[in-house]
Amino acid sequence: MKKIVALLLAILMVASLMVACGGSKSDSGSDKKDSGSKASSITVNIWDSNQQKGIQEIADKWTETSGVKVNVEVVDWDNYWTLLEAGASGGTMPDVFWMHSNTAQMYMENDILLDLTSYVEKDSSIDLSKYYEGVKNLYTRSDGKIFALPKDHDTIALLYNKAIFDKYGVEYPTDKWTWEDMYNAAKKITDDSKGEIYGMAMNTSNNQDGWYNLIYAYGGNVVGEDHKSTKIGSDESKAGMEMMRKLLTVGAPQSVVAETGTDSLFQSNKVGMITQGSWMINAFYTAEHHADYAWALLPYADRNGNGTCEKEERWSAYNGLGWAASAKVKDPESCYSLIAYLCGEEGQKLQAEKGVTMGGMTGVSDAFANAFEGMDVSPFIKAEEFSLYFRPYTRNTTVWEDALQQKGAFLDPWQKPDDADLMAKACENAQKIIEDAIAKE
Amino acid sequence: MKQKAPKKKATKAQKREAIWALCFIAPTIIGLIVLNFYPAFDTLWQSFCKTGDFGKGNTFIGFENYAKVFASGEVWHSLWNTIKYTLIEVPFGVVIALILAVFLNKKLKGTSLFRTIFFLPMVCAPAAVAMVWKWLYNQQFGLLNNVLGTDIAWISDPKLAWISIGIIGVWSVIGYNMVLFISGLQEIPGDYYEAAEIDGATGIKQFFHITVPLLSPTTFFIVQTRIIGALTIFDLMFMVMDKTNLALENTQSIVYLFYDYAFTQGNKGYGATIVIFLVVFIMIVTFILQRAEKKLVYHP
Repeated sequence: MKKIVALLLAILMVASLMVACGGSKSDSGSDKKDSGSKASSITVNIWDSNQQKGIQEIADKWTETSGVKVNVEVVDWDNYWTLLEAGASGGTMPDVFWMHSNTAQMYMENDILLDLTSYVEKDSSIDLSKYYEGVKNLYTRSDGKIFALPKDHDTIALLYNKAIFDKYGVEYPTDKWTWEDMYNAAKKITDDSKGEIYGMAMNTSNNQDGWYNLIYAYGGNVVGEDHKSTKIGSDESKAGMEMMRKLLTVGAPQSVVAETGTDSLFQSNKVGMITQGSWMINAFYTAEHHADYAWALLPYADRNGNGTCEKEERWSAYNGLGWAASAKVKDPESCYSLIAYLCGEEGQKLQAEKGVTMGGMTGVSDAFANAFEGMDVSPFIKAEEFSLYFRPYTRNTTVWEDALQQKGAFLDPWQKPDDADLMAKACENAQKIIEDAIAKE
Repeated sequence: MKQKAPKKKATKAQKREAIWALCFIAPTIIGLIVLNFYPAFDTLWQSFCKTGDFGKGNTFIGFENYAKVFASGEVWHSLWNTIKYTLIEVPFGVVIALILAVFLNKKLKGTSLFRTIFFLPMVCAPAAVAMVWKWLYNQQFGLLNNVLGTDIAWISDPKLAWISIGIIGVWSVIGYNMVLFISGLQEIPGDYYEAAEIDGATGIKQFFHITVPLLSPTTFFIVQTRIIGALTIFDLMFMVMDKTNLALENTQSIVYLFYDYAFTQGNKGYGATIVIFLVVFIMIVTFILQRAEKKLVYHP
């Protein structure tokens, strides 16, 4: 008798183990079949903790009408993609999540994301013509299927510390500043403080919010319109990076920015100016010395030398996240409904009013400028009066983007900014890096 | 561990016992197969493939990845970085731990307090340890430069960074090694020391002629496990070194390189090949160590 009991116990142990292991798989398998059932809650994953509160509030509004609970969870940028990829390769994915230009194409091509096309067609509240072209195109596959709706867009502006400018008697940045003016101001601050404070700081990793913008302002590009070519080694791009090199000679050296992020340096009053994206506003708005901080338009490159800024002489990168859902979700109706609310007029307006981000829909972002009392963030909106380029991406952006930041590319001239040839050489290397990466895609 | 069982036909009772034994180890075995063996063989398979996105569409390409790995200066450089790290962590980690263990094995006041203090780094999450050290080392605001009044780029000077990383490794591992040493020390009979004392041996002589030889099995065990541990180091480099750090090239370990290819760049096949390369390397090292064991370890 004892033996039988023991045997049963053993079988039970083994069986429970197998069930535990197989459990998650059979779950996701059945998800597909009963796609009609209504979920009681939806898991949302994002990577920006600054936005968590605002998005949860907007989602709660949706819950009021739909009755489906929404849990917004934050996973930091690096782990976000590792987890999402693991989930896509056979684990559990969050229901609704953000997509980004770095990876969107890969996810769309492999049918990891829920196809929203039929839902959007049936939904009269979503008017696709209202969204930013670049963001919308990013999440539309070449066969016309839509896999995510534009959540937001962001632009870049110049952030400066008024206290430092006052201390060294330098005039504040204006809308008429060229990159050359920025150089002169940075030089004065760095020289007058004898290197105690740096006029500006930029790391090789500040691409979208940094040196990309110089390349475009001087007429070059990082990735062409077709997302399959680059002109980063061209004379125009070289001119932009030559200006960048000059700025680096009066900025914080690479050894400093490699250990401490430019935003941390700025917040500890070590740096007079940095370029930043609109997604960072909240971090500076809530910082200790926020009263000293002010925003200005990115400088322009006076290429034709007439002393005024033409539309195509001032460029800001813009990028937009998309709200997407997993193709395997249990309740695609509710997931779409949540996405449609977040990307629809009401959700988009709330997002701007709460100062979460600017909208993915055009014309809803004016409220955003008023969301930060005591801080003028209008340069981010004014940037749209000039030229915008969509954040350069190809099918597998990370491969070349990482390589550009490291040795063999721009890290070398960043280390020795006095050497002009090195920067030109780096542009040529970069050309090859991007071309090779595209060829391998 | 080589035990030659006499070849006899198993009796009924023995068979039954064997079945029962299998039942009882089944949960562990199944766990090992699902969580360890399957992934290991899958990795081996992937190293011969050009892998597709999300684990779909792998195509067999034979030894192409291996040819690339052997021709890649980056892989050899990372292997060298890893060996350099091992050369700091293992000798210093072992010697310092041994000295501490000898002191803390004596009947002093507060030994348990000190043991706890030295063991604490083991309790901390490695990632947290690395973060704290990163701030200590920071050139601008770091405590180290502030206290010493220096302006040294501890972790971004390519000539220095590998030593700085090694120091973190030594610091984190001392406590664990020490505990193993203490348990080894307690197995040495006190008689030897008494006899030596009567014969007039000094403490240092006792240490080199009694403690070191009698402790050599423990030492060997620690050295071997730590070498394997150090060769697979990842978290320190990952947490301390930023992508744009000048010294990254001179500090990135081979597992870091694997992570970069497999997870950041999404090239799983090439990443798998790097890992298999490391596994083979570790096997060779272990084989040599096992051979050396007979000569190095004192068997009374």
